[in-house]
Formats: sequence, C-alpha cells, structure tokens
Amino acid sequence: MNFDRPYRGGRRRYPRDDYDDRRREETPQDKVKNAIIKLGEVDPVQELPIVEAQVRSLVPPNVPSLAEAFHISVTEQPYKIPYYAALLRRLHDTPEDGNPEEPSLGGQILEEFWKGFQAYVDKLAWRETRFCIHFFSHLTSAKLVAPESLALLLQAFTTVLDEFGVSHGRAKRAALCAAEGLMIGGASLKAISPSSPSEIINALQTFIETTTNAKWVVQPTLKLHSSSVDVENADELLDNALAVLKALDSVDFDTPCPRPYSEYPELNSVFFTPFTLPLEEESDAQVRREEWPEYFLRLFPDDISPDPNTPAGYTVRADLLAMVDIFEVNRKECARLLLEYPKWTLPGTFKPKPGAPPSEVELVVAHDWQLESTILETVLGALLLLPESSQKQVYYISLITEVCKLSPQTVGPAVGKSIRKLYNGLSDGLDVDISRRLTEWFSIHMSNFNFAWVWKEWVPDLNLAVQHPKRNFMRRSLELEIRLSYYDRILKTLPEAMHPPDAYTIPEQAPGPNFEYDDPSRTISTTATTFTNIYVLLAKPHHDAAQNILNLFRGRSKAEDVVAHLDTLRNTLESEASETGQSLDNVPSLIRIIAIQSLLHIGSRSFSHLLNAIERYLPLLRVVASGSSSTPANGSPEAKADILSAVASFWKYNTQMIGIVFDKFMQYQIVDPTDVVSWTFDHIANVDESERDFRAPMSLNVVEWELLRGALNKAIGRVSMSRRKLTALRKEDDESRARAKASGGNMDVDGETKEEPPVAENPALTTAIKAFSSLTKEQKSVLSRTLEGFVACLAPSSTAMHANPKVREILSENAWHDRANWGKDEWNAWETWGWYRHFCTAYSPYLRSYETTLATISFTRFEGQADPASDLLKKIWNVSIGQE
Amino acid sequence: MAHVVQPLDQPSNYKDSQSRVDRQKQNELLSGSTTLYVGNLSFYTTEEQIYELFSKCAHSEDGGGIKRIIMGLDRNTRTPCGFCFVEYYTHAEALASMRYVSGTKLDERIIRCDLDLGYKEGRQFGRGKSGGQVRDEHRQDYDPGRGGWGAQAQKAEIDRRRQTEERYADAHDGPGAVAGGGGDWKEMGGTTENKLKRGRSPDDEGDNERMGQRTRTEEDMEGERM
Repeated sequence: MNFDRPYRGGRRRYPRDDYDDRRREETPQDKVKNAIIKLGEVDPVQELPIVEAQVRSLVPPNVPSLAEAFHISVTEQPYKIPYYAALLRRLHDTPEDGNPEEPSLGGQILEEFWKGFQAYVDKLAWRETRFCIHFFSHLTSAKLVAPESLALLLQAFTTVLDEFGVSHGRAKRAALCAAEGLMIGGASLKAISPSSPSEIINALQTFIETTTNAKWVVQPTLKLHSSSVDVENADELLDNALAVLKALDSVDFDTPCPRPYSEYPELNSVFFTPFTLPLEEESDAQVRREEWPEYFLRLFPDDISPDPNTPAGYTVRADLLAMVDIFEVNRKECARLLLEYPKWTLPGTFKPKPGAPPSEVELVVAHDWQLESTILETVLGALLLLPESSQKQVYYISLITEVCKLSPQTVGPAVGKSIRKLYNGLSDGLDVDISRRLTEWFSIHMSNFNFAWVWKEWVPDLNLAVQHPKRNFMRRSLELEIRLSYYDRILKTLPEAMHPPDAYTIPEQAPGPNFEYDDPSRTISTTATTFTNIYVLLAKPHHDAAQNILNLFRGRSKAEDVVAHLDTLRNTLESEASETGQSLDNVPSLIRIIAIQSLLHIGSRSFSHLLNAIERYLPLLRVVASGSSSTPANGSPEAKADILSAVASFWKYNTQMIGIVFDKFMQYQIVDPTDVVSWTFDHIANVDESERDFRAPMSLNVVEWELLRGALNKAIGRVSMSRRKLTALRKEDDESRARAKASGGNMDVDGETKEEPPVAENPALTTAIKAFSSLTKEQKSVLSRTLEGFVACLAPSSTAMHANPKVREILSENAWHDRANWGKDEWNAWETWGWYRHFCTAYSPYLRSYETTLATISFTRFEGQADPASDLLKKIWNVSIGQE
Repeated sequence: MAHVVQPLDQPSNYKDSQSRVDRQKQNELLSGSTTLYVGNLSFYTTEEQIYELFSKCAHSEDGGGIKRIIMGLDRNTRTPCGFCFVEYYTHAEALASMRYVSGTKLDERIIRCDLDLGYKEGRQFGRGKSGGQVRDEHRQDYDPGRGGWGAQAQKAEIDRRRQTEERYADAHDGPGAVAGGGGDWKEMGGTTENKLKRGRSPDDEGDNERMGQRTRTEEDMEGERM
C-alpha cells in the first residue's frame, strides 16, 4: 500500500528530500480516495451526497481503489463507520442515468471489501476485523446486508469461545467482535430470529464465567484476604459488553448510535459466504501478551463520564480507546481528534463547550457528559491496565500532555481531579504497579507543566505510616521529579512541612554520590551493607588507600598496574589485620569495595564519565569480579555481590544511578542478571541501623522492584535478541545452501558475481546456537531466583533470620479492615505481596515456559503444610501461569 | 502505517552537514537508526536527566536500553551547548522517542528529536563553522521568571550551574574519547575475547583506534541487517 498522503494537505513527508521520494502528482483516483477518507471534515451528513457524486464522477470506477479507501476509513476511523455505511448504501442505488441491469457500484465495492476483510481475518488482525464487523452490522441495519449472513458471521466468532484450550486473548478478541456486532446489528438479527441474540449472549456469559480466577489476579486492587473478585472502581471489558447486551436485548436492540442511513428506502440484501476463522498458529518465538481480562478504572461518577455498562457509555469508551490505539503514531493529532470526538456522537452526548453557540440540531439524548473527564478516564484506564498497558506507558502520558496543551482550561481541572481520585484510591489497596505508573505519570506531567502541584493539600497525610502507599507515592513522585529536574527546583515546590528529614518526603540534600573514603576523619560508615563493622574497624587508613587508587585512575594508569597495586594493598591490609589480631576474611571484600567505589568516584561526573571509566578499566573490573587477581573467568558470586554492594552504597542517595550502574555492569558482563537478583534479595534482608524506623526487613519497595525488573528484562532481552539473531542466521544459512544447490545445477551467468557459498557448517550459526542456549539458561535462572526470593520474603520459615514479622498477619480480612492502624511492617509486607503478584502476571509468558521446574524448586517445601501464606503464593502462581 | 494522520517518527529536515554519504545511503541508515539527535536542551541539563526521560522509551525486554549519551559540547569552552545524541540498542526505541518524547519538555524546555545517522568521532563538538549539526537553537539565558530564590538557594543554583559548566572540562578529542556503552552479549572466557576487552590508556591509542573501527563496522552491519 502506497497511500501515504498526509491527512491535511500542504505538509510534506520528506521536505527537501528530492532524491527518492519525489512528490507524485495526485491522480483523480487518489483525489476520490482522499475525499472518502476525509468524509465529515465539517458535517458528515451534508457531505454524503457530495462525496457520493465525487465517487460516481470517476468513470470507469476503480473498485479495488474504492474498496481500499473504505478499508482505510473503516479500520482507522471507526467512529465514522455509520457514515461510511450510509455512503456505501447511497452508492448502492442506481443513478438516474444508470443501467439497472448492471451490478451497483456499492455492491461491487462491498464485494471487494469483503475480500479485504477475509485477509484481515486470515492475518488475525483483530482490530481491523472488529471494525469491519461494526461496518457489516451497520450495513445490515441499513438493509444492505442480509441479517442471516450477519448472524452466521457473528456465530463464527462465538464458535471460537468453544475451541478446546483457546487462549484468553483469542477468546476475548473474538467475543468482542461478536458482542459489538450484536450491539449494532442486534435489532435486525432479532427480527429474523428472536433467539439468535441470546445465543451470542449466552456464549459470552459462559466464557466470562471461566475467567473468574484470571480476573482475580489482575483486578486493580490488591486484597489479599479475598479470593473473590471484588472491584468497586473499575469495570472489566467483557463484563461491560455482557451487561450492555443484556440491557439492549430487553429493549430489542434499540441501540443509541448514529444511523444516518435510517431514512433511506429499503433494498435487496447481499449475502456473504459464511466462513470459519483460521486457527491461531502457536509459535514459541512469539510472546503472548494481552492475555488477561481488562479492568478499566472509573474515576468519575456516571453523570460526569459515561458508565461503560450502559450502551451509550460502552460505545463512547470503545470509540475513544480505538482512537487512542490507532493514532499512537501521532499523539498530537490523536489529542486533537479526541477533543473533536463529540461530533461523531448523538447530539446531547457531551456537554457543549463553554461559550459555544447553542446547538442548532435537536438533542437526541441528554447525557451531558464532560468530554475532558471522559478522555482522561479512558486514557488513564488504558495506562493503568494490569498487568501491562498495551502501548508504552509514556505514550499515554504524552498523549495527556497534548490534550492539556490543546485545551488547558478545560483539561487541567480534569487532570487534577483524576490525580486526587487515584491518590485517594491508594489507601484502599490500589495495586502497586498502578501506583508506580501513577508516579511516572505524575512526575512527567508535572515536568511538562512547571511542577505546579498543590502539595499543601497532602500535608495532613504526613500523619500516615511512613510506608503507607500515599506516602510512598509522594516520596517516589518527588524522587522522579528530581531526576527529571533538579533538587532545589523541586524542593521549592513543597510546603515547609514536607522539608524536614523526619517528614520522610524529600531527602535532606540533592542526590549526590556517597564516597565512603572521602573524609579522612570518617570513622563510622552509614553504609547499608553488612560490611559496616569493617569500616568502623579500619576506617582511617582506607582514606589513604582509596586516594592512592584514585590517583592511579586519575593518572589513567593501565588496568594491570591498578590490579598490581590492589595486590600490594591486600598484603598491607592483611599484615595490618594480623598484627592487630583481626580476621583476614574481610580483606578481599574490603579491597573490592575500595576499588569499585574509587572507580565510581572518577565516573561520578556524568553517565558518559561512568562509561569511560568502566571501559577503560574493564580488565580490572573482571579481575575484581573473579574474586582473585589471577583467573578472570565467570566471576565469583561473593565478589560480584561485593561489587553490587559497593555500587549501592556509593549511590545510596541516588537510586537512579544504582539502576544505571547495575544496568551497565550487566551490559559489560561484569555481573549477570542472576547476580543482581540474588544481591537484591540478600540486600533487603539486612536493614541498616539508620533505616530501621523506615523499613521492614525482607520487603521490596519500588526501588528494589526496579532493580529486579532491570535484571529480569536484561536476561529476557538477551534471549529475544539472540533468538532474532539465530532466526536470521538460519534463514541466511538456508538461503546460501539453496543457492549452493541451485548454482551447482546450472550455469547461471549471474552466478559469477556470487562467491562460492559455504557448504560446510556455518560457524556463526554454531556460535549463535550456543549463545542462545546459555542465555536461555540464564533467563531461567533469573526467573527461578526471583521466585525463590519472593517465596523467602512472603512465606518465611519459622527459623528465618530476618523475616518481616507481619508478613502473614496482614493476610486476614480483619487485618485489612484494620489497615488504618498499619505501620511500616504491615505496609511493607503488603507491598511485597503486590510485587509478587505483579511479577507472576507480568512475566507469566516467560514463567509458563518453565512452570514445572520453577514450581518444584520453590513450592515443594510447602507440601502438606497448612499455611495461608504459602497457599496464597501458590494460588497467585497457578492462576498466573494458567493452571487454575 | 496510519493513513489518516502522519506518523511523528519520520525523518525530518535535520541533517549532519559534515556527512559524506549520499542521500540514498543516508535514508537507508536512518531507516535502521538507533541514534537520536536531541536539540533545544538547556545548557544545564545533565545526562542523567536525559537518561531518565529517554529510558521511558526503552524496550529492555527486547534487548534494548540506552547505550550511551553523548553531550554536545562547545569546541572551545568544553561546556554543553544545547544538544546531545542519545543512542539506543534498537531502532524501535529511537522511533518511540520520536513519537512520545520529541516535543515534550525536559528541564522546562521543549526538546526536539531527530533520527540521526549515528555518532561519529568528533561530532560531539557542535556549533560554529566546524560543528556538524545544523539547526541553531537560541540559548535561553538564565530565567529570572523562576523567581523567589533566597540568597542560599541562589548560591546553590549558581553552584549547580558552575558544576555543569565544568563537568566536561576533561573532554578530549580523538579516537576512544567517547565510550561505546557496552555491546551485545558474548560468551566469556575465549582468548580473543580478552584481547578485545583490553583496557585503554593514553599511550594505547593505536589499539583504541582499531577497536573504535571494529565497533563501528559491527554496528554498520547490524544497521544494514535491520
């Protein structure tokens, strides 16, 4: 398809680029195509006869091109579908001077359109398929398509729900096609067969009943005590569709949507050939996502934004979601189109713009919803979908920014109300990853709007427990704001009450480095590691030791010279220790920490300085990671844990940098993702003295979750890259073999330019296969280590050293209702459960590959025990991997 | 490909005036580009701020992430001069930034991204006759509109700015001056591996150059495959 002209004329795709993209002349065909796509720029009803005339003026008609225009229009502007149905209906009439014996133009286009629809179905392009069904349903309602054939079409989709072992994603998409088709064309179907709507409704209901467990694990609130689905402020997509269908069935599908064709005279209907949907091909390379029920949060009451359980409300949300999805390629245009959406709805659906002239058209409905609130609710609903949004989160965030920029006065208040509503939901169990995404949205949004937030209104919440989700939200949002801006800028947006350190809201100082050996008089280290005792013991001399190393780094000494220096230092420290009767065991750790901290110190000026320091001293880093100075192999786990501890304590005031350094240490293969996961779980076991009143042991907060996520994604990303490489190499290999065969058989002249293809084993392929196998092992090990870590946190054995004391207590219903009295331990435990649930659901496509092994390793020890914690762990696991 | 609206991730009129490759080759490179030119930065914006914003477009589950950031410097003063290069591991990430980040604010300025042909030695020194990147941004001077600084806060502000200005005083020309950011995963322990990962030091220039070239060819090949 080469149709890539901009929607509005005048803008060129490659300005100044005249080499290979010469602007083609617009042919008459293109003009007509454009006219169809642009239908309704001003008033769709008035434009219908004009566009019709334009289409008819092209003689002879180019039916494939016209059908393509309809395809583009229907699949990319679904909110205009009723008008496209009307246009096609008009094209079905025989013009006055036409020959009634010839097939109508509309009929020809429809026939061609149907072929295109089948192509979408064959490709399993669900979105396009669904909008084509909308179109067919409107055409049925316009009497252009026989209701019997629509019934057969919709049936083909409900059949999918009965397929053996159908995936949730496939069933969900098929169900939506059938349900939405029925919503639009239900009246016609019911007229010919009163039972056919209820057949579809029953099929949908039966399917929904099988999804209770899946709903439980992705509902937007985390209520550990309850195994039922209990959602107050959100609606599940298929539940909505079912409620709407039931409501419509009781009024014979008098669906409130524009039907501009309803006045046109009757005609003979066209029949389609019924068909069966192709089966989904299972490919292990493809990671299956969007396999979950979809809960959209409600932020406003029904009189402000529509209730998606009502026919009108469902349509509005479905249209807005479709626009958000389709126009992802251009968020600015998307924002504009969203704000123009009311023109495609029945008059009276939305409140008129303030100051707009009174409407000339008769109001058909009287909902008077607020457009901006409705848009915000829809976009945020999509952003906060669990376990993952379908687009990148930053897309939705930038989209909201654009909507705000287009209409600050009207959108601003809706943003404020949304933030407050969601913030308040944090007290009632709003999911931890939803909370994380909220902080991302909040900070990026504020960064685009001068950091203007009235923090004062949250001052009373400083009385809440220090780990209460609302306080976590404030702290994290500010942390992210500082990352995007700088400390002093953000500090001055806060009221005084939030400044002091015991308000636990913003740090006392800008997030700088924390070089342990900076100050020669430093005797007590505040490091959060287990090595505190060593520092106290040997603090003073290390200043000099570190300075010497720093000087080597600054003088750009060769890595091997620094390694030699570290050997000398070890001898010195060991003899010092033995003179004072101290154990020598800690010396290697100490040296690693001094070396790594010094390296980070010279790399602390900027991200680039860090990379330069790492690259210059890679051999040194490998030696340190190996645990000894002589044999850099795959590294020793203890040494690598020391490296990570050194990083964490050097950047203890700057969690962004911890993430960055960990990421690059993994990238340069100083440490492996498994090392990071192991370190993270070991690290949270030891809560530093200075953090005791701040956090409980064996608990994960968002900072640690991000470290885990970084490691998990690194391991997963390597596998997916390696898989891509392998696929490409295999293809290449197959091709060169085929070429070898071909050129061996005939004397092609072209063959001369090609070198003799390799017939023997391809060494690159062998390496790639080996790499793929190593990386898959690493991925499995990362997943396994993470699962083990969570199990150790959440169902600690009675002998566990550092367990969070409240981790089991919070599981009861009474405990949850008493959450107003929860302290840091309870909230920390609750949050850790939340990250566990998120881990299981978000990573389920990968976890499923190893379900048996992983479950055996982690859950076997609970066999035969009556323990609510291990039961809950297993239940969340089983539901996530689809075993329950 | 959306037909109704024009995607935001198309190459624009931005160009590297020093680039020697012809237009067709340039388009080819851009269609697989993993690098962005980011313009209209405040002179005081740090790499970490840039990292934070651009990491929102990283697809780490697909093997992506931020490979490196190269701050654009004034050739004479060695201070940031309002642009940078952000290099990802994948092309999709660069496109995502074009769609979601370009045209939004960073450090209270609207930044603009363009797909870039890829960083080459020396391109971090922009502006002036010898600078490569063409699109002059006007420096917005210290903005008094931020108002309400106390004396102490003002001092902190001045310190912050001085720190940023001095940060790149050690930036130097020549091969190996800009780090690569870490390449694809490789099996460890081979002898060739150790050689490749050898450290750098000032009197090691020859090796650096070779290494630099090797990385570049690898990248070019990667670009062509995509």
